[in-house]
Amino acid sequence: MSSSDQTPTKAPASIGARIFNFFSGFGLATTLLLLLGILTWLATLEQVERGLLPTLKKYFDSSSFFFTPELKSLTFGERQLKIPLPGGYWVCLLLFVNLFLGGILRARKGWKHAGNLISHAGILFLIVAGGVAQWKEVRGNLALRQGETSDVAEDYSEYVVEVSELKDGKPENIHVIRGEHLNDLQPLNGGTFQWFVHKAYGLDTSGSTPRDFKLPDFPFDLQINGWMTNCQPVSAVERAPEMNELITDGYYLVRKPDEKQAEANTAGCYARLLNRDGTAGQPFILAATSFHGYTVKVGERVFLFDIHKRYWPLPFKVRLNKFTATFAPNTMKPESFVSEVTRIEDGHEIPATIQMNEPMRNHGLTFYQASYGPQGERDPGKMFSVFEVVQNPSDQWPKISIAIVAFGLALQFILKLVIYINARFNS
Amino acid sequence: MKDVPTQRSSAVRWVALGFLILGASLIGGIYLLDKAQKPKPRHLNGYTEWSAETLKIAESIPVQDGGRVKPLSTQAGFAMYQIHGDRSLEIDIADTSEKAKPDKDGKPAHKVIKLKPTAWFLDCLFRPEYAVDLPTFRIDNSAVVKGIGLDPGAKRDRYSYRDLQPGRDKLQELARSYDQIEQSKRDPEQQQTIDLATNVLKFESILGYFSFTRGVTMESPDRSQSRTAAMSLVMAAAPTIQQTIAESQKQGTEIPVHVKAMLEQVLDAANYSKGVLLLFPPDDPKTREWTGVGPEIMSAMTQEAADPKRAIQRVQLLESVAMAASKGDMAFRDQLTKFRDLVVPLATARGEYRAIPLEASYYRADWFLNALVYFLLASLLGGAMWTAGWNRAGRIFAWIGGILTLTGAVYCVIAITQRCIIMQRPPIGNLYDTVICIATAIVVLALIVELLTRKRFALGLAPVIGAALVLLSRLYEIGDAKDHMDPLVAVLRSNYWLTIHVITITMGYTAGLLTALISHIYLFMRGTGLDAGDRTLRRTLTRAAYGCVCFTLFLSLVGTVLGGVWANDSWGRFWGWDPKENGALLIVLWNLAILHARLGGFLKEWSFHLACVFGSCVVVFSWWHVNFFNTGLHSYGFTSGKDLIWWWYRLEVGYIILGAIAWAVWTRIENNRKAPPIVETSKVPEPA
Repeated sequence: MSSSDQTPTKAPASIGARIFNFFSGFGLATTLLLLLGILTWLATLEQVERGLLPTLKKYFDSSSFFFTPELKSLTFGERQLKIPLPGGYWVCLLLFVNLFLGGILRARKGWKHAGNLISHAGILFLIVAGGVAQWKEVRGNLALRQGETSDVAEDYSEYVVEVSELKDGKPENIHVIRGEHLNDLQPLNGGTFQWFVHKAYGLDTSGSTPRDFKLPDFPFDLQINGWMTNCQPVSAVERAPEMNELITDGYYLVRKPDEKQAEANTAGCYARLLNRDGTAGQPFILAATSFHGYTVKVGERVFLFDIHKRYWPLPFKVRLNKFTATFAPNTMKPESFVSEVTRIEDGHEIPATIQMNEPMRNHGLTFYQASYGPQGERDPGKMFSVFEVVQNPSDQWPKISIAIVAFGLALQFILKLVIYINARFNS
Repeated sequence: MKDVPTQRSSAVRWVALGFLILGASLIGGIYLLDKAQKPKPRHLNGYTEWSAETLKIAESIPVQDGGRVKPLSTQAGFAMYQIHGDRSLEIDIADTSEKAKPDKDGKPAHKVIKLKPTAWFLDCLFRPEYAVDLPTFRIDNSAVVKGIGLDPGAKRDRYSYRDLQPGRDKLQELARSYDQIEQSKRDPEQQQTIDLATNVLKFESILGYFSFTRGVTMESPDRSQSRTAAMSLVMAAAPTIQQTIAESQKQGTEIPVHVKAMLEQVLDAANYSKGVLLLFPPDDPKTREWTGVGPEIMSAMTQEAADPKRAIQRVQLLESVAMAASKGDMAFRDQLTKFRDLVVPLATARGEYRAIPLEASYYRADWFLNALVYFLLASLLGGAMWTAGWNRAGRIFAWIGGILTLTGAVYCVIAITQRCIIMQRPPIGNLYDTVICIATAIVVLALIVELLTRKRFALGLAPVIGAALVLLSRLYEIGDAKDHMDPLVAVLRSNYWLTIHVITITMGYTAGLLTALISHIYLFMRGTGLDAGDRTLRRTLTRAAYGCVCFTLFLSLVGTVLGGVWANDSWGRFWGWDPKENGALLIVLWNLAILHARLGGFLKEWSFHLACVFGSCVVVFSWWHVNFFNTGLHSYGFTSGKDLIWWWYRLEVGYIILGAIAWAVWTRIENNRKAPPIVETSKVPEPA
């Protein structure tokens, strides 16, 4: 065979090109789609056993690259079968990269493929909307009785520790420590940590280090540790500690498994004062299940320490004028819940109606008709209306994205169908 | 088609004949088994049938039930479903027609009749003496009957109220104790005992509704004499009774014993006729709650009614209706007509009679049952079509089968349209709606695929899948025993979203199931070698399945995101990882994975179709399985029928495994065919 007959050999692709090909390839796309499908399926099964929020945290939390599903069906005797799976957050991120590189940059261009490109762009936009919501969305609730006005929403799940000075019985100079800054102070097992004692020797076996919070306006700083998302104070006299928990003032905190509905969790922690003279006070318990906060007297000044769901100030006031609940006649089947409200903004009063499927949107906030109470009450005058308040910059992006995706897919598939029918008739 | 290889044609015909015989035997077998298991109809002495005219008048009486105004026949139908587990009941009665003859044993002429819901309900209300002997209660588990101290009959036996009466107290006692056990921890016998006790109570409440028409026993002041007075007369005497009570109170003496006894009877009767049957529309146009006879009685007795005379007239009229029941059908019909003519204008004036005649005719027509018959006939003709092959007979069978399938589909479309008019909402609002809509859509889509491909595989399978799904809808309706046209809950009351999201997602399920169906055919034909290597057929099936995957993806993706947009407006979040949402996402992801793997060359024909078959498991998970999780905002909280889903999964996985084995075997055979002939080296001549 002469050299002229030989087909020219293809030059091997550069490393950069190979990496690009890998990240933009159909192989990666298929794998990621399947992985996401498996994660979604397992998360669906696990949320039935463990509740939604803990499952989501586990499956889609950005802090973990891998996790193992825990399902009753994967338990054999006492042993749980451990199958490591990649975290959903990272799978989605990789899918986004793959979609951008493969579905936009590398994809075939031309009018025959226009629909394909458009639908990929729409999906990319949808994932971006999801990402923005994941990081930026804030949600809480606001419960109002007829005639009541409020400009404060309460977070669904986040607890805060609040420190204030009591003057004439009213809290002033309020300092708020958010739960998100305390989450890493959780004891590793049940409460065996010898927290303050070990800290005193510069040693901490609890797995978390106590955190100091500076309070320059007050004659002390605050030290917190042993944060638990769901716990309950128990009297040491009534029930002896089982795991060497720290007892203070005759009580200790018992950790409870997270509730299936995260909003039902009751957080708690240990705290103590760090005085300006370098001494430290006795530890005390802050628990969401307690009816009252903890008060400390320093000289003539009285300070209040409390733990509650985070309050969230709104940029305007909302007054509930009228709440109407309609039920199908002679049944308890709800037909509609309508809240007629007034938005009070810079002295202006703007009437609005909030009902199922028709929220009120203003200033980047959305008010939804979430529920009502008390349960079983039929007299609207005695009922209160509960709004879900959400701040999500990408609130309306899915609408735009679905328009793009639907147009792209319809274009692509109709083109394919026309080509197929044409070919069929021609043949 | 001239290009069909004879080898394939004859093999397919034999297999088709096998399927035809199997199908016919299955339908016949089920029918015979059902007949054999059915207990012999009971003979009811003295029972006379309601005439069709009387039943038609009864059907058109409006009542309020489940939060809406509906015909009496609808309420009767679902009460019968709940208590009897069916919409008809067979009894044996004396045949009084002129042509009637004594039977072989010399017994007087008799005949078996079917009692439909309205007739059964009328018996319960107006002829309790017969109703207590009707075999109304279906008890599948004889242990339940044994448990209440009675002798059990055969499996699937029916019991009358009179049969169960000796064990009634024991039944209620057992039910109360079982009710303390958490529902998920109850065994089937305990649950069935509770259900039976509930049904007995419901039956008693229907039976006792018109007890006020049996009058009130009035005693003389010295209680030496007594007589029965009509309730309307007692109501008319309410001012005198009130005066007597007022005088007693004034004098500080007790209410006379005979008055007290009478008032207790009135109160009992009013309570019995309070809730089951809401017959009277309210006077105030703003009020939506209809009332039963009980409040009418009490309003006159307490003198709180604005017009006590009207309440008395209403009760009087109902007394006449009840009295006429024992005087024969014609007399009863006359009185019933008077009552209907009283309430219909009231309901019409409120705009609540709009759909009553249509709904009564909808249930009378039983469109889906008729569609089922057409689909079953078309299924048999489909088998005959494949057996006959590509000749004139085959063509004739194809045409007739096609026309029957289309007729069945048209029946379904008519039924769905009528339901939309009655409910004044889009066709899908609950799980029952999804089944009937998917049944209809899948048949229509399969016929479209047939039009595009002209290979007769979709034509033969469309009625089979149509029949299966219509049957499923009937089983679900019986099991659920709820009126699926009742009003929707607050969040679903949006015709806009019900139209664009729910219909889209349901059509996505349809397309997913159709895809799997086409792939089943491909794997069967190719796996068994029935396609005889016909590449055109393979290509056609693959193209059809590919088109359906695209269609499924489009509908599921758009439907899922639209659902998110709706959820964002109603629940305040686009995505909540609710099981139903996740199920929809799984369909999207699975179809996307199939398309990308196909484009990347990872799925060739065999594996592509295997993946499409698995798609049916994903659809079933999303459509049905997630409903059992009893969690999330879409949950319907099912407890029964889960086994059926697991059987579906097993069947499909088994099919996939068999398909994969067939793939491996055929690949080996084809590779062997392509391999060059082996040359025996010893015979190769040595070079010189």
